[in-house]
Amino acid sequence: MNRIVIQSWALLTDAYRELNSKKLFWITMVLSCLVVAVFAMFGLNKKGLTFLWFEFPLPAFNSDIFTPALFYKFVFATLGIPVWLTWVATVLALISTASIIPDFVASGSIELTLSKPIGRVRLFLSKFITGLLFVGLQVAVFTGACFLVIGIRGQVWEWGLWLAVPIVLLFFSYLYSICALVGLITRSTIAALLVTLLCWFAFFVINQADDLFILNRESAELRVQDTDAIIAKRVAAAEKALANAKEKNTPYPIAQEGEDQLETINPLLKFARQQKREAEESLETWQMWSRISFRVKTVLPKTTETIGLLGRRLLSLDELTKLGLLRPDANEVESDETAEAQPNDRENRRRGPMGDSRAAKRLQLEMRTRSMPWVIGTSLGFEVIVIGLALIIFSRRDF
Amino acid sequence: MSMSIAETGFGVFAAPAGGAAAGEWAVDLTDVTKVYRGGVHALRGIEMKVRRGEIFGLLGPNGAGKSTLVKILMTVIAATRAQGTVLGQPVGNKDTLSKVGYLPEHHRFPEYLTGGQVLDFYGAMCGVDRATRRQRAGTLLDLVGMTAWERKRVKGYSKGMRQRIGIAQSLMNDPSLVVLDEPTDGVDPVGRRDIRNMMTTLKERGITVFLNSHLLSELEAVSDRVAILVKGKVVSQGTIDELTAGRQYYEIEIDAPDAQSQQPTFLKALPMGSTLEQSGHESSVAESPPNSADQPSSIQVTSRNLGGGDGNGGRQLAPDASGLLPSGEKILLRGGTLQILTSDHHPIQAVIDGLRQRGVAIRSVRPVRPTLEDLFMEAVVDPTTGKAFTPGAAENEGAGR
Repeated sequence: MNRIVIQSWALLTDAYRELNSKKLFWITMVLSCLVVAVFAMFGLNKKGLTFLWFEFPLPAFNSDIFTPALFYKFVFATLGIPVWLTWVATVLALISTASIIPDFVASGSIELTLSKPIGRVRLFLSKFITGLLFVGLQVAVFTGACFLVIGIRGQVWEWGLWLAVPIVLLFFSYLYSICALVGLITRSTIAALLVTLLCWFAFFVINQADDLFILNRESAELRVQDTDAIIAKRVAAAEKALANAKEKNTPYPIAQEGEDQLETINPLLKFARQQKREAEESLETWQMWSRISFRVKTVLPKTTETIGLLGRRLLSLDELTKLGLLRPDANEVESDETAEAQPNDRENRRRGPMGDSRAAKRLQLEMRTRSMPWVIGTSLGFEVIVIGLALIIFSRRDF
Repeated sequence: MSMSIAETGFGVFAAPAGGAAAGEWAVDLTDVTKVYRGGVHALRGIEMKVRRGEIFGLLGPNGAGKSTLVKILMTVIAATRAQGTVLGQPVGNKDTLSKVGYLPEHHRFPEYLTGGQVLDFYGAMCGVDRATRRQRAGTLLDLVGMTAWERKRVKGYSKGMRQRIGIAQSLMNDPSLVVLDEPTDGVDPVGRRDIRNMMTTLKERGITVFLNSHLLSELEAVSDRVAILVKGKVVSQGTIDELTAGRQYYEIEIDAPDAQSQQPTFLKALPMGSTLEQSGHESSVAESPPNSADQPSSIQVTSRNLGGGDGNGGRQLAPDASGLLPSGEKILLRGGTLQILTSDHHPIQAVIDGLRQRGVAIRSVRPVRPTLEDLFMEAVVDPTTGKAFTPGAAENEGAGR
């Protein structure tokens, strides 16, 4: 037991020394601090946005509309984590840590380590954790600084911010597991880095495709609902017109064989029914594709959704609505009247599902209904398989 | 590097456990086989014994399987079949490694570590506590002459300095067995001598040293026992005396400006009843000796080539003539030198007497023992072709990497 403690401490110390020797570690750390400093320089007042002593008057974006706390949380959750930590800092971290496993298994280095009384599984995992430590320290410093900025400038001590550390660490660990496996197999830093970046890009594309399929599906479903409402209204109107004509014995167009009498009275009803059939066909297609993308995503790491967990935790739907990112009535079914009252929605439909704010809100809702165990559990499942494979290879390989 | 262990306080290391419980053998292999992927047979049933407290030299040509064997002992490579023990525990047992020191060939330490940190890290990996590590690191750095470089990063070290640090780290866990793979690689002559002295001191303290080196003279100078590995098999094993037994001979050199011309004198000087066959002639011609009682009973000139396999490691040219003394010892004649293949000095006396009676001036009479290099060359030369085996595996079987 004592030996295990001594070895573990030595491996941890070694991990720190290795990180400390990497210039990029410190460069990234300094850049993170600069980003937080710039973050702190922004502020909100009654007129609008401020940067140091400069003012940018924005009638729709000032402290009368948003609290400073909401503003800072919004910036942290939508820029700090998804842009800085998830993209810029992660790329820097991958560049810095991609060489850890190839260097570890390089000829001349590995023999000495393997000749010590320590298991291969522990050795490999310790090196894997070294890579994670890189990101863990970076995120901890960044989050800590943001926590202070939001606390001091926004007057709210948002403890939920610290959730960024495990979430970004999780996100990075999905990618780093691939990096470690490829680094072990090829012993090449470049190969490990390239394959990891390619996989990351593939996960991103799959996630975007999933979003697109859901958006189209929801848009089609909304169209079905919309046309249903319109059909119901037109049927009622046509029935009323037919009844009136019969009652007053006034002439009305008689349907030919095989034609619907109501459609003959109101030709727009036929058009609406045609639209509904088209919408139903479209719905069927997008349902199928969204089912496929969901299944594919289930077995792959969900990088975007993992990071999205933080946004879900920090910003509620109400806050998103308040920030203008969601329409308050976006979940309602549109009628002819509302469509007429809200010409923007007609515009949305013309622009397709990407511009449909009701579908966008439904997408947001669906993403928020995907449970944490599904998002994290299945992603970790992927990671466990990749790391397990690496451990099997490492344990059985002759060096 | 000053390797005077007594002076540098190397005595901090306790003598390893001995006695019956520890067993006689530090390494006792009965059957170690390694077949790499693709069917390359690197080791084919290695049988090897290394006594506790001795310096054991492992030698063999490139690709003989030496590194594979060492790596199997150190668990860097998994054997296909491994029957045997290291320090009394089965080969591959990880716990045993806490009492084994290892210096790999072409080792590479993490370049972000200083010399002192290297010792500390690898000591900790063996489970040595912090206080002991500090104490030993100081002692060992002093021992290998690297105290002044303790706080300098390894990436600034020369090859020889890295080797010194490597040797020091192999001793950090107070090992009972030290496996050194080419320890003098890149080390200057003074450093080499110091390393040899250090190995001797380790032995004196009861530590077993398993030495893998290409430098045969170095091995010969320090090894108690050696094993020669060829194509994945141990072809010979034992002390140098054991390996050279029956291969020692006496050499009588005469003082003559043209030794070749003295050959007839040699022939006449041999005791009665000796036979001698001359080599290099086109045909066999039997020569009748002159009417003299002290002439060899028969002298034959043959076309046989007696080169190679002459008991001298195959490194000498074919003899001019060969034959037998009446007492049965083989004799070889090369120019002005007569070689009598025996370690017994008695049969030599009659030959010396005969030469002196013929008025031949003797420059030297000396017993000759084959060197380790002779043994090695003999082992690695293919007797059918007379050429050294090609490095690595035989075409269809393979012998390692």
